[in-house]
Amino acid sequence: MVDDMALAPADAPVQADAPPTRGLVAQAIRDTLSGAGAKAGLVWICVVGFCAVFAPFLANSYPLAVKIGGHWSSPLLRHLTPVDVILLVMFFACVILALIRRLTFARKLAIGGIVLVVITPLAYLFVRPPSLDVFEEYRDLAKQGKIEAAIYAPIPYSANDRMRDQPEDRLSPPNRRHLLGTEDTGGDLLSRMIHACRIAMSIGFISTGIAVVIGIVVGGVMGYFVGAIDLFGMRLIEIFEAIPTLFLLIAIVAFFGRNLYIMMAIIGLTTWTGDARFIRGEFLRLRNQDFVHAAVAAGLPVRSVLFRHILPNGISPLIVSASFGIASAILYESTLSFLGLGLVDEPSWGQMLEQSLGVGGTFIWWIAFFPGLAIFLTVFAYNLIGESLRDALDPRLHGIE
Amino acid sequence: MTTYIIRRLLLFFPTLLGITIVVFAVMALSPGGVGASLLTREGGMDPRVRKEVEAYYNKRYGLDKPLPVQYLRWLNEVSPVGTKEAGTGFPQAWGFGFKMPDLGESLVRHRPVIDLMKESLPITLLLNFISIPLVYLIAIVTGITAAKHRGKIADVGLGSVLLAMWSVPQIWAGVLLIGFLGSNQYLKIFPVNGLHDVQSDGMTFLPHIIHGAFERGWLLDSLWHLVLPVFCLSYVSFAFLSKLQRSSMLENIGLDYVRTARSKGLGEKTVLYQHVFRNSLIPLITISASILPSLLSGAVIVESIFGINGMGKLIVDGALAHDRELVLSDALVIGGLGLISYLLADICYVIADPRVSYD
Repeated sequence: MVDDMALAPADAPVQADAPPTRGLVAQAIRDTLSGAGAKAGLVWICVVGFCAVFAPFLANSYPLAVKIGGHWSSPLLRHLTPVDVILLVMFFACVILALIRRLTFARKLAIGGIVLVVITPLAYLFVRPPSLDVFEEYRDLAKQGKIEAAIYAPIPYSANDRMRDQPEDRLSPPNRRHLLGTEDTGGDLLSRMIHACRIAMSIGFISTGIAVVIGIVVGGVMGYFVGAIDLFGMRLIEIFEAIPTLFLLIAIVAFFGRNLYIMMAIIGLTTWTGDARFIRGEFLRLRNQDFVHAAVAAGLPVRSVLFRHILPNGISPLIVSASFGIASAILYESTLSFLGLGLVDEPSWGQMLEQSLGVGGTFIWWIAFFPGLAIFLTVFAYNLIGESLRDALDPRLHGIE
Repeated sequence: MTTYIIRRLLLFFPTLLGITIVVFAVMALSPGGVGASLLTREGGMDPRVRKEVEAYYNKRYGLDKPLPVQYLRWLNEVSPVGTKEAGTGFPQAWGFGFKMPDLGESLVRHRPVIDLMKESLPITLLLNFISIPLVYLIAIVTGITAAKHRGKIADVGLGSVLLAMWSVPQIWAGVLLIGFLGSNQYLKIFPVNGLHDVQSDGMTFLPHIIHGAFERGWLLDSLWHLVLPVFCLSYVSFAFLSKLQRSSMLENIGLDYVRTARSKGLGEKTVLYQHVFRNSLIPLITISASILPSLLSGAVIVESIFGINGMGKLIVDGALAHDRELVLSDALVIGGLGLISYLLADICYVIADPRVSYD
């Protein structure tokens, strides 16, 4: 039995006097991150990611700790949902895994996957938040003077807190209590925007992940086998490219109902064509190279030739397109939400933006400006990163230097 | 070249078939399907009446037949060749032959789909045909300017602005434009609803002055209504194309033929505009195919924001109303337009670059 990895060109023996080489992709990522634009983009995405993970601790109507009648309790922790817990556990697992240096990337990925699979059922079994949310409960208690001491979240309003006890705060412009103002229904805009980071982050990553996987499989098979499979695959790609993604998305969401997971799946299922084209081109270029012939001659299964030998050498264009893909997925989600096809109970930037053109043609500038700015900055950040990745990976530009 | 075009035209059929199958499958597999969801709309109906209505719809549109039969039935209706009633179409005596394609009748609006299309398609095409030349013209000028000053502050600044512009969501731009330039609270400069003023029917065509007062006329009124939608529709493509034009110019400037042209003593202007510029247009022509589909989906957003009754609005309304016939016809028309634009781009590509050959 031949070891799969032994034939990969990356594993070729390195001469002792040669400088240590780094992979093309690793080098490109390093080059990218040295640019100011990509750095700024990454910082913003980290901010959004942080908000997504710690949303309940940043904006919550329930105090983190409260002292009533002489003993302390934590309503905030009691009201955490299973999703909150899973996100927190996964975040800390990723941080710990990133700090351990001895494991390979594949091992880390596997351990992360195992943690996710273990924690999900546990969280849904054991985390039982109260089914009824009375957001004004602690504000009322504070007014009655029953709270002796309390620690609140930085923004003491939950995303779905409609401020029923403070009707005078509805539709108020940015002020000291509500930093970015409030919505028509009374929700605090900043709090809703922080909670909406979750949708923005997850839709980008998951839908692009689906698109990349489909693109690699379809494009790889097309580029490697050519002939009839290639012709059929190209027709398939043409079909999907001839339907504007937004049209298909609208049709499917209108018929299947509003569901974040369906939305992610559809964005992934309709945007893979560009990735497939890239991968097909790379595979067409690489399929006749010596290391591929060697792998075939060694009797390796097709799966191994395709995905362990050719793919690592042809993956670089995909990194660029994935970065732009995340940006366009976020745009699709916000557009759908704007058109009234998004989620109803969960806040999303696009859905907030839609409310800015209120009843009777009034225009509420703070609801229009801030959520739109958040969408813009996130899309801009991914585009900046994609742009500098493309520059870093472009061999023609390296020649000029 | 002719063989290539014929081959491509023949490939239209399987592709259009595929598009409509995908869309039909989506609708058929959705919970509730098409027949049932139509009826839930008219709730509060007497059960007996409901049954009658259901039977009527089933008979009329074949909604109780197996799905493949339903699809084939629709396909037979829209195709110019198929079964028909004797006495119409080409071989008049036969039950099979050439006939007028029939896009069916909207299940919700109870009007022939072809009429709805005739009303809305020209509006969307008008928006696009104003946008495309405008976008190309400005993008080429900006791209050349950036390339001429490459590496300098003008180029870097323009590059960042274009990338930012490319990232601005159309929904945000539209909402801000309406809010700040079209609402009563701020500046009310532009009209924001529809393509014509309510009184535009009574206007003269050209602007003129009656009794010392300026009358803007139908043409100017329409143009006035078009400013914001066209801007909103085109700025994304503009940013994208400018960047493309810049990089294409730069790529060409580094090539050997430019050095040759310079070394034989041609002026910088001649080199730039007669040699580099012409060659740098090739990527812009290739990309023109994907511009039309992206402008069409841009139209969905722009028409929804600005209340224009074009294809985009027809699509959203049709999908929201679960209108099977309308959605299928939309898919057919949008898909067909996309395919035609891809073919046109390929032909333009050959004309622009003699090295390219498809035979």
